[in-house]
Amino acid sequence: MTEEAIGDVSVQRRRATIGGGPAQLGLFVILIGFWIFFSSLAPGFLSSFNLFNLGREVARDIVIGFAQMVVLATGGMNLAVGSIGVCAVMTAGTLMQTFALPVPLALAGALLLGALLGWLNGFAIVRSGVNSFVITLASANLFSGAMLILTRAVPLNALPPEVGAFGRLKLAGSVSPLLVIALVIGAALFVLYRYSTLGRRILAAGANPRAAAMSGVPVNRVIVISHTLSGLLAAVAGMMVVARLGAAMPAVGGEEWLLPSFLGPVLGGTLLSGGAVSVIGTVLGAALVTTLRSGLLVLQIGSYWLQLFLGLILLLAVLIDRYRGLYAERMRVVRSS
Amino acid sequence: MTSVDAFMRAVAVRSFVCGFALTLGAGFAGASDNKIALIPGGPHPYFAPWEQAAADAKKAFGIAAVDFKVPTDSKLNLQTELIESLAAQGYKAFGIFPGDAVGINSTVTELKSNGIAAAALAGCTQDPTDVALCLGTDVYNSAYLGTKELIKAMGGKGNIVHLAGLLVDPNTTLRENAVQKAVDETKGAVKLIQTVADTDAQEAADQKINALLGSQKDQIDGMIATGYIPSVVASKSLRTLGDKRIKFVGIDDDKIVLDAIKDGFVAGTMAQNPYGQGYIGAYVLDLLASGTCTMKADAPWIKTPQTAHFIDSGTMVINQQNLTTYKDDLKKITADIQGKFKTTYMTCK
Repeated sequence: MTEEAIGDVSVQRRRATIGGGPAQLGLFVILIGFWIFFSSLAPGFLSSFNLFNLGREVARDIVIGFAQMVVLATGGMNLAVGSIGVCAVMTAGTLMQTFALPVPLALAGALLLGALLGWLNGFAIVRSGVNSFVITLASANLFSGAMLILTRAVPLNALPPEVGAFGRLKLAGSVSPLLVIALVIGAALFVLYRYSTLGRRILAAGANPRAAAMSGVPVNRVIVISHTLSGLLAAVAGMMVVARLGAAMPAVGGEEWLLPSFLGPVLGGTLLSGGAVSVIGTVLGAALVTTLRSGLLVLQIGSYWLQLFLGLILLLAVLIDRYRGLYAERMRVVRSS
Repeated sequence: MTSVDAFMRAVAVRSFVCGFALTLGAGFAGASDNKIALIPGGPHPYFAPWEQAAADAKKAFGIAAVDFKVPTDSKLNLQTELIESLAAQGYKAFGIFPGDAVGINSTVTELKSNGIAAAALAGCTQDPTDVALCLGTDVYNSAYLGTKELIKAMGGKGNIVHLAGLLVDPNTTLRENAVQKAVDETKGAVKLIQTVADTDAQEAADQKINALLGSQKDQIDGMIATGYIPSVVASKSLRTLGDKRIKFVGIDDDKIVLDAIKDGFVAGTMAQNPYGQGYIGAYVLDLLASGTCTMKADAPWIKTPQTAHFIDSGTMVINQQNLTTYKDDLKKITADIQGKFKTTYMTCK
């Protein structure tokens, strides 16, 4: 089976999943529904204060979701998203505060580190042949541990004031530039998976690694590239947190990012088994989770219920994903016969 | 006792209660429509008195709402989400135990830019900060006095262990430094052989303290705990061990600790004033939110390593001598601080 043939089949599936489709439309309708519901019960939900904060939370969750999505595309997973994020946070803080580097250079250094840590994960996975679950679980602890040893868990709060000022910046009264950055990243990923050869190869490797390899797709290389991209995106999310807090803190990221990293993509239509992603779906999925969290808090429904709701949503998302996978398999069989 | 004595006693008691209520109500200028929230760092027994303090402050000062809202976990992002959500619902002032002394500052700055007042209670934010004040235990002084009390109970010499709180708690480093200072003053007679941190969570405390006592109890002559949970766990463990040789000074007034003091397993504990922090905090925040008062720049602030705007909410040693009377002493401290607060720390219209 040639890459072009793979392309024909996966193009159809890709178009159905990347750009949008019934799943994403349903998600969008649900999201709008919740917005109407929450704003009718709690007027403060639509206040510019809440919208601004919501926008910042959504931006971070979208990018965390993307960091996981790019690895899910290959059929793997990255449990070190949070660890890479916090390593990037502390690197940025150290470069800005301890070494007094200009902010753009410090940010570049942190992003480079994120990409490097992602690359290490990918390299270890393809070299060892061990499942990404195991490798990234180990590397999550390794990266966090190394960060704590090197930084001694001391937060860095004397960053240049423009860092915190950027995090508090408002566009048009209630839009955070962090949200704009997240959407620009989304647009870039959309182009990657829809129009680029690399994107096609990543999806092919995720859909059927053996068939892709036989068709000349460098499967190992695309896995490494995906993990590198994942690390880079985790670092971007870390930079958003630094801007939000105006400080570099070792207590951010970590295991906290694990649930949102899966919720957004899986709710949005990205297959856990690989081979299909939904960029727009990930954006909508992250927005839905953040909306629910914010809405429940604004309604003063006990904050302990949040955990219960988020768990239920993840379970629902996984069940929908399972059903979606079975449906896709059945369609594949129908088309081939 | 004669009937005249009984009558005089009744008059005295009633006068005290009225006087206490009046004193606590001092400064109450009428009902306010402010909504105030007291936000701890996370679920922790230390903050339990804040709920009653909130209810009492609401009643005593005629505030529309004083609510005690707890983040689901001791994590900064959960605390900031809760604060932002409440601000969107119209809360006008927040009393916050910082989830992180540095990380909370960004949220406080945003609150201020939206005309919402904030005060740090029971723990301070790191300067530069936009909180109006920090009202809490002078934890450095409390840990210092507690260690001195422990050294006295040990006869001035021996090896001690410090059971410290969560590393993310802004007070932990201050307490570590204070314990070290008290030890250094003994010029080698007392040695701090170990600091066991992150013991202010139940499972961690159980594991670490029991392992410590199991493996090293013969090398330890005294222990100082500067966290609520390790104080309770250590009191239980020493009672289980049946060992009155190891002297122990804890913090806070959990019943388990107080019973252990009564039975001689624990030498003493350092009382904090969580109720007072919540009660006075709500009172001050209401005045700030109403726009009636602002903080005086030249008030007699205490300068700490964290902040230049600290107010001590009071601390004292509880031991066998004052076990039955310490609560009255704390109430007097609260009433005293609240009664003089406006004139001492605020400029009012």
